[in-house]
This record gives sequence, C-alpha cells and structure tokens, in this order.
Amino acid sequence: MLSLRLARRELKGGLGGFRVLLACLALGVATIAAAGSLDAALHRSLTENARALLGGDAAVVLAYRQPSTDEIAFLGQSGAMANTVEMRAMASVTPAARTLVELKAVDNAYPLYGAVTLDPPQDLAKALAQSDGAWGAAADPDLIAKLGIHLGDTIHLGNATFAVRAAITREPDKVSQVFALGPRLMIDLRALPATGLDQPGSLIHRSTLIRLKDGMSVASFRAAAHQRFPDAGWQIRDAADAAPGLQRFMSDITMFLALVGLATLLVGGIGVADAVRAFVEGRLNTIATLKCLGASRRLILGTYAWQVAAVSLIGIVTGLIVGAVLPWVAIAIWGASFPIDVTPGLYAWPLLRAALFGALTAVAFALWPLARAAEVPAAMLFRDIVAPASARIRPWIAAIIALAGIALAALAIIGAADIRLAIGFVIGAMIALVVFACAGRLVMRLARNVARRVGAGRAALPLRIALSSLHRPGAPTTGVILSLGLGLTVLVSIALVEANLSHEIDERLPATAPTFFFIDIPAGQGEGFEKAVTQAGGTVIRRAPMVRGRISKIGIVAADKAKIAPDAQWAAKGDRGLTTAATQPSDARVVAGSWWPADYNGPPLVSLDANIAKGFGLGVGDTITVNVLGREIEARIANLREIDWSNLSMNFTFVMTPNALAGAPYSDIASVAAPPGDELKVERAVEAVSPSASAIRVKEALGEIKTIMAGAGIAIRVAAAVTLLAGALVLAGAIAAGRQRRMRETVIFKVLGARRVDLLAALAIEYLLLGLSAAVVAAALGSGAARELVITLLKTKWAFLPGPVTITALGAVAAVLILGLALTARTLAARAARELRHE
Amino acid sequence: MTAPSPIVRLEQVHLALTSAAGLVPILKGVDLTLDAGEAVGLVGPSGSGKSTLMMVVAGLERASSGKVVVADTELTPLDEDRLAAFRRQHVGIVFQSFHLIPTMTALENVAVPLELAGRSDALSEARRMLDAVGLGARVAHYPGQLSGGEQQRVALARAFVARPRLLLADEPTGNLDRATGDAVIELLFALNADSGTTLMLITHDPVIAARCGRTLRMQDGRIEDGRVATVNGAGQ
Repeated sequence: MLSLRLARRELKGGLGGFRVLLACLALGVATIAAAGSLDAALHRSLTENARALLGGDAAVVLAYRQPSTDEIAFLGQSGAMANTVEMRAMASVTPAARTLVELKAVDNAYPLYGAVTLDPPQDLAKALAQSDGAWGAAADPDLIAKLGIHLGDTIHLGNATFAVRAAITREPDKVSQVFALGPRLMIDLRALPATGLDQPGSLIHRSTLIRLKDGMSVASFRAAAHQRFPDAGWQIRDAADAAPGLQRFMSDITMFLALVGLATLLVGGIGVADAVRAFVEGRLNTIATLKCLGASRRLILGTYAWQVAAVSLIGIVTGLIVGAVLPWVAIAIWGASFPIDVTPGLYAWPLLRAALFGALTAVAFALWPLARAAEVPAAMLFRDIVAPASARIRPWIAAIIALAGIALAALAIIGAADIRLAIGFVIGAMIALVVFACAGRLVMRLARNVARRVGAGRAALPLRIALSSLHRPGAPTTGVILSLGLGLTVLVSIALVEANLSHEIDERLPATAPTFFFIDIPAGQGEGFEKAVTQAGGTVIRRAPMVRGRISKIGIVAADKAKIAPDAQWAAKGDRGLTTAATQPSDARVVAGSWWPADYNGPPLVSLDANIAKGFGLGVGDTITVNVLGREIEARIANLREIDWSNLSMNFTFVMTPNALAGAPYSDIASVAAPPGDELKVERAVEAVSPSASAIRVKEALGEIKTIMAGAGIAIRVAAAVTLLAGALVLAGAIAAGRQRRMRETVIFKVLGARRVDLLAALAIEYLLLGLSAAVVAAALGSGAARELVITLLKTKWAFLPGPVTITALGAVAAVLILGLALTARTLAARAARELRHE
Repeated sequence: MTAPSPIVRLEQVHLALTSAAGLVPILKGVDLTLDAGEAVGLVGPSGSGKSTLMMVVAGLERASSGKVVVADTELTPLDEDRLAAFRRQHVGIVFQSFHLIPTMTALENVAVPLELAGRSDALSEARRMLDAVGLGARVAHYPGQLSGGEQQRVALARAFVARPRLLLADEPTGNLDRATGDAVIELLFALNADSGTTLMLITHDPVIAARCGRTLRMQDGRIEDGRVATVNGAGQ
C-alpha cells in the first residue's frame, strides 16, 4: 500500500514531532487503565474473599430476638453454624478511661471461613474462654492504645469484667459490618449475658453464619428458610452481598479515578490535535509537493493517518503498560491500609477499555487536522497562499469524527459504575469544551482590540508583543486555554469539594451537631437519663423510643421485588430504626399530608421521609409494611417530611403512631449537647443511671470520617493533578511547535534593537495572560461543577469558599508562567548573526 | 505535412484570487497554444502572472473563466483528485526551491511519481534516472545531504522519470550559482531533447529564455503577444 510505504519513509526521521501526542495519549490511557485495573483487582478480591468477608455461605440476621429451637434445628440441618452477636457498648478501665466499642460476641465455631489472627498468636476460642475466673477478650490494637492498657489487663463491659489476652490483627468478616464507630472488642458469646447489655430493645445484630452442606445452594437454602419460617423476620445475606458498603466505597473511588482519567484524555485530546496540526504544518511543503506529483487527497490523508496511527499505537501501548503496572505499585505501597487484602493482576477488559478510549480519542482529535492537511493546495509551493486553506473538511470525515465522539461518550457512560455521574461528566465536559473554546476566541479578540489601543513607545513594546503573540493567525491560544482550563477545572472542583466537606466536618457540623448520641437507653430509664444529663450540665436535645424493623412491602409489592430509585435503595435494605410520636416533633417539616391527632388510636399511620417516599414511588394515602420482630405492620402514609440529614440532628425515616408499635421491645435513643469540657461528666452521669447505654461521641465519629476522607483525598488529588499535567503537556507542545517562529521573531526584534529584558517581559505577559484567562474561566466552571457534586451527589450544604479556588487558580497561573518561561527563555539567547546566516 | 497538434490550449483565461482586500485579478484573458515537443520560455516582470499561468496549465490553480485544455484534457470541470491523476499522467514540474521531500532519500524522491502511477519497477527506474543525471552514487542520500545543484538534479530526475508529455519549470536555476545553474539548464534541455517533452520554462535570464524555441512575455496578467515569439531571437 503506497500510503503505508510513504508513511514508513517519513517516520524513519523519528518521532520528534509526535512527542506531545505520544505523552498525552499515554498519560490518559495510563490513568484510565490504572483506575480500571485497580477496580478489577478490588472486585476480584472482594469476590474471592466473599465467604470469608461474610463469614459463611449465608448469614441469617435477626434483630432483637434469639432464634427459636426449631429455627436452630433447621439451620443446623443446613450445614455448619457459627453464631455472632454484634452491638455497640461502652468499655472502660476506670471511670475516666471509657470508650465506645464495636462489640462482637462469638461462639467456638466462629469463624467458618478464614481465620481471626491474634497477637500474640493463639487460638481464638482459647483466648476468649473463661480461665482463672475471668472471661477473655481480644481487642483492636487501637482500643488497647486508647485505654492505655496492656495485654492481661482487665476491662469492664456492662456488669462483667474481661481480661484482654490478645490484640486482633485480622478479622476476616470485619468489612462486612456497617461503618464502625469504635474499635473492635471480641468476647465469647457465653460471656454476653453476664454483661447485662443484652436488654430487650437493645440495638443488637444476631447473626447465624452457615457453611452450607455440600450440594446445597444459597438459593435453595434461602427458599427453604422462607418456606419453613415465613414469619421469622430474618434477613438472609449471601456472599454476593458480603460487603456492600465497602464495595460501594471502592467503586466510588475507582469511578472517580476513571473520570479523572477521562478528563486527562480529553485534555490530552487537545494535545493530540495540536500535535498533529503542528506536525502537518511542518509537512505542508511535502504535502504540496506530493500533490504536484499527482498524489490524491486520499493518499495524503492515508499517508499521515498511518503515521498518526502508528504513534498513537505506541502511546496507547505505553499507557497500557504503565496503567497495568501502576496498581501493583499502589498496592505494594498502600496495600496495607486497604481494608482487605488486594492482589493485583492483569485484567483484559479494563485494559481493552482504556485502549479503546485512547484510540477513539486519537480518531476524534487527530482526524480534523489530518483532513485539513489533505486539503492543502499544491499551489502553495509557487507563492504564499493569498487565501487561507479552507477550514472545511469532507462530510464523511466530519461524520467519522462525530461518531468517534459519540462512541467516546457512550463508552464513558456504559462502562461506568454510576451512570448518572458519567452522564453528568459527559455533559459537563461538553459544556466545558464549548466554554473554553469560546473563552479562547474571546481572549484572542480582546488581545487584538487591546493591542490596537496600546500606545507606541518602548515601555508598551512588551505588552504589544505579548498581545500579538496571543492573537496572531495560527496562535495556539485557544488550544492552550482549552487544555489548561479543562485540567484546572477538574482541580478547582476537587479542591472545592474537599474544602466543602472539610468545612462541613470542621466548622459547620460541630456548631450544629449534638455532642453525643446515646443509644440503648433501656425502656423506663428515659426520665432518669434526662435528669442525669441535665444535672451534669448537659442538655437532652431529643429523646425518642426506637424499635428496629425491616420494610417488607412497598405499597402492595414485596420490598425485594419493588422498583426503587437508586438513592432510596439503602432504606429498603436491612433494619431501619422506627420511632413513634404522638405530636409533630418541633423540627419536623411536613411537606405533604398532615400530622395525626395526639390521641389517635386508629389503624397504624406513618410519617415518611419525603425523599424516600419519592424513591419508593409512594405518596400520602399509600401503604407501607414493616416487619418488627416477625410482626407485619401495615401503615398508611399520613404525611411526608423533608429531612435535612446533613446537620446530624436525630432523625428517623419512619415515625409511626404510638399505637402501631405498642408492645414492641424498645430502647431510647437521645441526642445530647454538652458544654466543652463537660463531656466526661455527662458520660459518667449517664453511666451511673443507665450503665448499658452507649455514648457515641459525634466529634470522634467525625474524626474517623475525616481520616477516611484524607486517605481517599490523596488518591483523588494525585489523579486530578494528572489532568493538569496533561494541560501542561499541551502548553509545552504548543511552545515547542512555535519555537522556530519565536526564534525568528526574537532575532528580528534584536536586529531592530529590542533588549532581552523587553522580550522576557513580553513572554512573561503572554504566559500570565494565558494562565489568568484559563484560571478565571476554570474557577467559574470548577465552582459550578463542585456545587453540583456537593449538592446532588454528596447531598450536603454548599458553600463557595474563595480560599481554595484562589490558591488553586493562582498556583496554576504561577505554574504556567514558570513552565512557559523555562521552555521559551532559551530562544532569547538566540544570536542574531548566527540565525541570519542560516536564513 | 500536418501541423503538430497543440498540447496546451488556453482561451481567454481569467483568474482572480481572494485576498483580505478583495478579489485580485492575476490573469486577464490569456490565450496560449503550445505545440507538442516545443520549448517555450516565459519571461516577464515579477507579479506579471507567470507562475500563476504555469499553475493553471498544471491544473494546480483553477481558472475563474476561460478554457484550459492540456494533453487533450479539458481541465476546468475536473475535481482535485482527477487533476492530481491528470498531473500524474501528463505533467512534470521543476521548482525554483527544488521541493524535494526531506524525509525521503534521493532514490525515494525520484520513485514517488512512478509509485503514484502504480509502477512496480519504480525503484529501478528511479535508479536509472538518477544515473542519467549523474547521481548514481548519491541514491541513498537525503536532500539535506545534497548540494543545491544536486538537489535540483534530483528534482529534474523526478520530473522526467514518468516521461511526462509536458514539463513545467519555474525558474529552475533561481536558487543556484551561475556555474551550477548552467549545468542544470544543460541537463534540462538535454533531457527535454531526449524525451521529446514539451517544455514551458519560466525564467528571468534572457540567455536561458533564448535557448527555448519560443519566448512569451507576460505583462500585467496578459501575454503581450502569444504568437510573437522568437526562435533564437528571430520573429516568427
């Protein structure tokens, strides 16, 4: 094929003109491939360890009650069993050294899969067993450090005392638990009654883990369990759903990394287009000569398309190699801080997907300048072109570019874990592209207009040179603003999202959130609790009875069959806290329907969270059925409330009429404010009247969240910086492409008497204006994107924080200035005589 | 004896180019006939339209109006790719600035027209042609490794290798010193004589123009007198 032969001949000269193209594609592909490979590795680890993460083939979860003898017999026939009870409790060494723990009481059969590893190494059952009159306990090293104890020391848990015999270094099913508010403490199940914590109404999860007999599937076990005990009210979880919270968290992070990769590729696409344009501009004579010799447009297009394809392939393969290797590096460095053991591996689909992204980007961005190159008139060899080359390209080429763009968008959306976010990204990216392209043109136009008004004189010379560099025909202004701006937009929006979350946790929440949540206040101790809190200087903000129940029917449809909006699905999974209220709570904002009379005694009514009702497709007058302790309670929706979950005040999705839950064992939950310094006093006062109640310190919980956020934040910031790096590459490419021209200009200016300082000032002004233009638009767009993310995705309060925006934007402007000057300053040293001799 | 058939026939050819200031008329009604095998020198001041006229004849520029027939092909209705095919078959061009492809060796440069014509013997023919212009030892050299005279000889080899019926040369010695230029012109006329090609040569050098069978003078977009030409200075 002649075009291939010609392409090969041209490529013999090396890849010099294609360095930026290669780097841009490699960077984007590497980011996407790395994010995809990491995601695949995490998912494989979750799947491979699913049984260990769940603790069995299936977990039968009951709230409140113990399984009956019949139920135990049935479960025993299904396979090997292990029983666990989990709850939150207060562990103490002295009245002053007291902390909330995630308590887990286990029997001797636990764990069925995997192993609990202890330090010093020993058998779990033996470590927890009763010896020398004391039950044993194994504790998270954090708990040992927090309480300032040593192995062998005793701790108090409710009414019982335990000897801490080991530190837990590994607990196979830990990540299947919900968000931990305290460190783990593990005891023997037989020791639990002695603590007195297992009170009616206490928030307790009882799980029976099953290792099913050979030949029995989870589905058949589940079916048999529901058929035999239709009213048991138990929740049967299987390995496929072993760690949904972790899976979601991991998916969110890797999805975010993938989107950053896409943004990088988009910025890189501009670099690809610029690089191809610069490359073909350097080949115009060759193209025109070939045309004079009789080469057709198609041959020209083919010749240069082969070259771009070959270089793109190298870029994509380089990106794939880097992207495939990066997860190994990341896991080697940070693997220990991952909640599960992750084994890196080579995954075909993420790599194929990244390669597809790279190839489509190359087509979408390189074809336009290539097609324009094919339109170069051969006549340009005989004279300077009077009329510029037509910007129009053939319709079939425009169609291919459009198809590649659509395929890129489709690939971004189809493969995404969160389709809504991906669609938002695609739309946002398109808006950003258009806005920055317009901004680029506007800057060129402004530069032209201002240049006309700048007066003559030596002082104004640098400004005039800078402005003319920005608006001259063929100036890369638009491309550079577009790419730098896109990269900076990503960085600004991330900085603002992070700043908003930090602001929420550091400033807004501590100002409005309660100091404590107290849970498991036994029924009947509520008034004593309130009195104790008040006497200790605290204030009970709200106290309410709480019963746990599970939604079994939405309207008339079984909950597991109902169609539920994604953001409401959490409410239909697992147990929910239900409360009752005779009168409308003061902070409840009813948006539909009305509250029931205080003395209402009719069929059960419920007040429901308006967002959940919307997600369930329910309205006032519809019914919803909850299962409390095996009892199905069908309630009619009396009203809908708008709940602001973001201020951490005590709220319930379900508030029912008091008669609906009459007789159900309940405990109270309360939010309490305590003046700074009086926290311990309040805690002790509560312990005195209600020893089984557990205190959750909101500040500590927020600290935990912040630690998790900080870890994820580093990964996110690093990834986002890659996008800006792509922008810097595009800038570097544009500078390299214009180097010859700049050299000539410098020489001419010098011949005419310009000083080096004038030219340096002109360069500084040019890069400053470029950086500032990109930064101003990026600050606006990035703020808009951050606002959307904060409000719609994170569902929290939005605040525009000028600090992070300014720091990020000015940092980027400084970076552009430094990079620009560093790459261009050498041309200032051009010696006029030598350059002119070469003319 | 029958008169030789014309290879180039231009009738009332006008051409205007667009510039920022509007339409600029370049050719203003050119009539021209070149017979097969003749050598015609085109002289005239800069900006008179010589190069544009050559481009129109080569199918590189489209006439705004008038009729252009070259090698029995009416060029006006042809699209760009057909014009490229037309050049491939019938026209060779030599430029003042050589316009060799910098990334290709001398051999590859000369082979391109044959390759474009789909010839399987492109490389061996190109080698033969380079031998003919005295560059048999420089086949593997890139343009950057050749002197100006050598580059123009490569360009001549490239222009003649496909045996075009019409050879257009735009000041082929303009970038060369006198001695090298003379050698190139000798070679050009020798190749032209050997191949029987029709030659249209733009030059500012009256001595070179005088070597052509006929000289046409262009002035302000017109051929002052298409039929007033000279053979060795004599009126025809």
